Amino acid sequence: MDFSFTKKEEQFRQELRTWLEENLPEGWLAGNRELPEDEEEYSAFLRNWQKTLHEGGWAAIAWPKKYGGRDATLMEEIIYQQEMVRVKAPPLVNYVGIHMVAPTLMQIGTEEQKEEYINKILIGEEVWCQGYSEPNAGSDLAAIQTSAVKEGDKWIINGQKVWTSFGHLADRCFLLTRTSHKEKKHQGITVFLLDMKQPGVETLPIVQMDGKKEFNEVYLNDAVAYDADIVGEVDEGWKVTMALLMHERTGIGAQVFTLEQQFEDLVKLTKELHVNDQPLIKDPFVRQKMVDFYTRFRGSLLNYYRHLTKTLKDGHPGAEGSMDKLMVSELTKELFDYAVSVQGHQGVLWKKDALVDSYWQDNFLQSFGMTIGGGTSEILRNTIAERILGLPKDLGR
Amino acid sequence: MDFALSEEQEMFRGYVRKYLDGAGQTKIAREFAKGNTDGFQAIWTGLADLGCTGITIPEANGGLGLGALDLVPVLEEMGQVLLPGSYLETVAFAVPLLEKYGTEAQKEKYLTEIAAGSRSMTLAWLEPQKGYNPEEISCSARVEGDSLVVDGVKVLVPGGEQADSYVVLVRTDEGLSLVIMDRTNDIEVNAQRCIDETLGLSELTFRQVHILQSQILGPVNQGWSVLQEGLLSLNAALTSVIVGGMEKVIDMSVEYVKIREQFGQPIGRFQALKHRIADMKMELETTRSLSHYANWALESGEADCEAAIYSARTFATEAYINVASHNIQNHGGIGFTEEIDCHLFLKRARFYESYLGSSQHYKEQAALALAW
Ligand SMILES: Cc1cc2nc3c(=O)[nH]c(=O)nc-3n(C[C@H](O)[C@H](O)[C@H](O)COP(=O)(O)OP(=O)(O)OC[C@H]3O[C@@H](n4cnc5c(N)ncnc54)[C@H](O)[C@@H]3O)c2cc1C
Repeated sequence: MDFSFTKKEEQFRQELRTWLEENLPEGWLAGNRELPEDEEEYSAFLRNWQKTLHEGGWAAIAWPKKYGGRDATLMEEIIYQQEMVRVKAPPLVNYVGIHMVAPTLMQIGTEEQKEEYINKILIGEEVWCQGYSEPNAGSDLAAIQTSAVKEGDKWIINGQKVWTSFGHLADRCFLLTRTSHKEKKHQGITVFLLDMKQPGVETLPIVQMDGKKEFNEVYLNDAVAYDADIVGEVDEGWKVTMALLMHERTGIGAQVFTLEQQFEDLVKLTKELHVNDQPLIKDPFVRQKMVDFYTRFRGSLLNYYRHLTKTLKDGHPGAEGSMDKLMVSELTKELFDYAVSVQGHQGVLWKKDALVDSYWQDNFLQSFGMTIGGGTSEILRNTIAERILGLPKDLGR
Repeated sequence: MDFALSEEQEMFRGYVRKYLDGAGQTKIAREFAKGNTDGFQAIWTGLADLGCTGITIPEANGGLGLGALDLVPVLEEMGQVLLPGSYLETVAFAVPLLEKYGTEAQKEKYLTEIAAGSRSMTLAWLEPQKGYNPEEISCSARVEGDSLVVDGVKVLVPGGEQADSYVVLVRTDEGLSLVIMDRTNDIEVNAQRCIDETLGLSELTFRQVHILQSQILGPVNQGWSVLQEGLLSLNAALTSVIVGGMEKVIDMSVEYVKIREQFGQPIGRFQALKHRIADMKMELETTRSLSHYANWALESGEADCEAAIYSARTFATEAYINVASHNIQNHGGIGFTEEIDCHLFLKRARFYESYLGSSQHYKEQAALALAW
């Protein structure tokens, strides 16, 4: 057992730090981190940031060198996450492409698909979205109804997707469709790499509870795809679906580094806010609650490290990613709830009127999506109980 | 970074588990609770033969000369069977303090005998109706020639009747000191009833008990800070014992809900239980992570060692009660019986939560360690 970073790893950290100092957008480190309100500008800004990352060799460090990555070790990935979070770097617009679609294609895609898509994902030329959920298929993902029917050399796709994050900005979609009706609903599913910029695809943004419009309805009316767009085999898409989902959950688990930063921010807040001329952190109730948060975020961080160690030994991630996701998302929700609570009656003030910084109120609202997207907490508990502890499966599945 | 126990450490665990399985697991604790302590003495010898009592003791004193981390899997195994007595206090309190502060003569005698399995030690700190503050210690040791004369009463001494020596916190002329007192007929030892009957708590009464001044452990009048150091390793080790207990509790729940059927199906299919057990598992794994880190931080003298140990300790003690309580509920009626082990774990968990300081106390310690 050893938790220290090697000299080489510390050098890597330094290299990245220096690069960030020189390449982050103007004024970013000084605290000017406003993103453009206008959708076009917003998208351009983020694509530009990804391009900068790519040019520095920092867009997808975990990828193999032959695809333009760095073959980073898991430790380097950890350091990368920590440093990005430390400077509150702009979000990765093509998160789905880099962390979910490309790794899945490297695993399962054809040579042509790798050739066609991976580099465009890397340089930010094509942004991706994930077309899984439908109005009648959320947790019960295998119940999807969007159909793909072969006509000549084309597949004609009809149906509706929902909650599609960044669908309005995306060029391509990792799309789940039903290609035949078999006895078990997990069978007969096919994954397509769909071109979003075609007449048969319409995206309508949905306003979220935090006022943002990041997810969408996607209507598919005779949208077209080809054999070459299929990942894996026709009717055998469930395995592909799951492969991508694994990457998604592992990725959300890495939110623990964000949580670490958020916790540190909360410590600062409780030192800055005063009640009766005394910093809040001196109040016994507050400091004890803060120790609880400290312990739990340390616990989830250490769990994450332990699961990484296991991944390294086994050569692939296991169901433990569900534990990381569950813990981090639930804890984030509690943390921001508390952060708003310690601001007293003025804690409800929002945006420009926020007592300290709307960061707290925004994240409080946003955190409610974390325990739903990527698998709800209930579904994750099922996974932990069934896959890790071997309890009997829910009926109906 | 490597966040796993080594193969050697896991192998050691394997030997200990096999031995304790052979001894009937919690049967040892159950017999002990009934007053049949002979079996326990035999187990202690058996564990010593495996090397368990001398893990961190230098080879020169007959130990294995390993580090505190090597204790971790062994302590976890002790937690699984609710080992009675004062194994924890011996290896994780007395031994590290003897190593750091012991005189040559003390080391020669105590470390060698502990490694050989012929001596167990325990901690006698608390006093009747008193709390955890240093001011509240009234048990005294007065100088008389080259002797000390000890007067006073200590309570809640784990394994007090079985231990061969006590590390006692006493008031000396200008402060507090720790002294080692060997079990003699001069010391009156009375069992104290505890809801956890598998521990063997005792009350010790000292009436003008004479010991040599050379029995002082560490600098005289500095006993309080020496005690705090000992508590760091004791608490780190305690979290390991708790991990073992929690693991066993969760195994019990998992096994039971797979075989017990109601409404024509295994009850483990009901999400009220399934989700609760998933949460129990999360608490276990988080405790394990915190515990492993705390022990590593202690061994490698990390800057955050105190915060890590105090916070791990509070989390572990609270989580243990939680999972032990859920385990009873998951078993239904049979969970409420004496026959099934569920209650044994709850009682032990209840004991640890307030052992050597409350949850609140350790949260406050953690806050201080974090410079808040
Ligand atoms: C911020 C955000 C971003 C998202 N981004 C995307 C995206 O990019 N692409 C995409 O495809 N989807 C996306 N989703 C959708 C997300 O995956 C689904 O919302 C999620 O899987 C839940 O499905 P649902 O909304 O239909 O809820 P339901 O499945 O209807 O769930 C409703 C409630 O019932 C519970 N429930 C359902 N089944 C069970 C069960 N078997 N046992 C116990 N409880 C159960 C759930 O836990 C939940 O509490 C996103 C969601 C959010 C919130």
